[in-house]
Amino acid sequence: MTKLSSNKTVRKIRVRGGNFKFRALRLDTGNYSWGSEATTRKTRILDVVYNASNNELVRTQTLVKSAIVQVDAVPFRQWYSQHYGIDLSKKKKVVSGKKEAEEGEAVPADAEKKQSKHVLAKLTARNQNRKLDPHLEDQLASGRLLACISSRPGQCGRADGYVLEGKELEFYQKKIQRKKGKGASAAA
Amino acid sequence: MAEQTERAFLKQPKVFLCGKTSGKGRAPGKRGNRFYKNIGLGFKTPREAIEGTYIDKKCPFTGNVSIRGRILTGTVNCTKMTRTITVRRDYLHFVKKYQRYEKRHSNLSAHVSPCFRVKEGDKVIIGQCRPLSKTVRFNVLKVIPMGAAEGGKKAFTAM
Repeated sequence: MTKLSSNKTVRKIRVRGGNFKFRALRLDTGNYSWGSEATTRKTRILDVVYNASNNELVRTQTLVKSAIVQVDAVPFRQWYSQHYGIDLSKKKKVVSGKKEAEEGEAVPADAEKKQSKHVLAKLTARNQNRKLDPHLEDQLASGRLLACISSRPGQCGRADGYVLEGKELEFYQKKIQRKKGKGASAAA
Repeated sequence: MAEQTERAFLKQPKVFLCGKTSGKGRAPGKRGNRFYKNIGLGFKTPREAIEGTYIDKKCPFTGNVSIRGRILTGTVNCTKMTRTITVRRDYLHFVKKYQRYEKRHSNLSAHVSPCFRVKEGDKVIIGQCRPLSKTVRFNVLKVIPMGAAEGGKKAFTAM
């Protein structure tokens, strides 16, 4: 069983046909893809948060396929600021409800650097179709993204997956909240 | 949605739900992004499968099973299991000593996709697929409701 731990251990096992399987015993990073933006980054896995099959696996922080994990958001933030020129690490100010507030903290990221006209043109073109789901935005600002493991760590030795978006994200967020709510009310 | 009944998020694996450009080049009236396939062998994929919103990974039209091997027909015996039925196949066995036939039957469990509405007594065409559970190796491909065919239905027909 693959545990979340910082000393990475992967064993090579010879299987039928002379082929090899990589049994991951301890992992802490994975290659996670952000589907709607079509980028993939290697990130640290921070926390196992939900498992549809077994709560025990959440408690023991076991990495399995289709476990919901929290993943470091920094590489994705960096990519986003490079691609769109917008810095997501600052939280939106709730006071001013204008749209400018969103873009306001966005611009300072590159205001100091001088950018060529070519680069600026590319950025403005990309920014025209830019849409960012508010749930994702919150997660990116806080530094932790929810992701789902889609590889089988005990077979291929990797814990790769995809960032949760849209309906799936809402579904799992509700599940996690319900569990937290139950735990909190039980303890109280 | 009504169909998210399990603890994990039910979705069709080949459909990417969060694409930003979805819904642009879409013909009006077609809502969801849905995966469905033609199972071949001359079977039409039902409209319910294409337009429905159910998620069933064992459905031959919208899931991950392929139909290959035998195609059999039988009558529906029992529909009490979730998404599966038992199909009863009657046949005659010849006894050499007495030069006569005797009636025999065997039961099969088949998975039935939510796009079909099956009642006991309907005739059903099932196709072989990979093992879906301990006893289920077949999948319902077509339902012929009881009372549908007009001409000459005998009381007992050997299948």
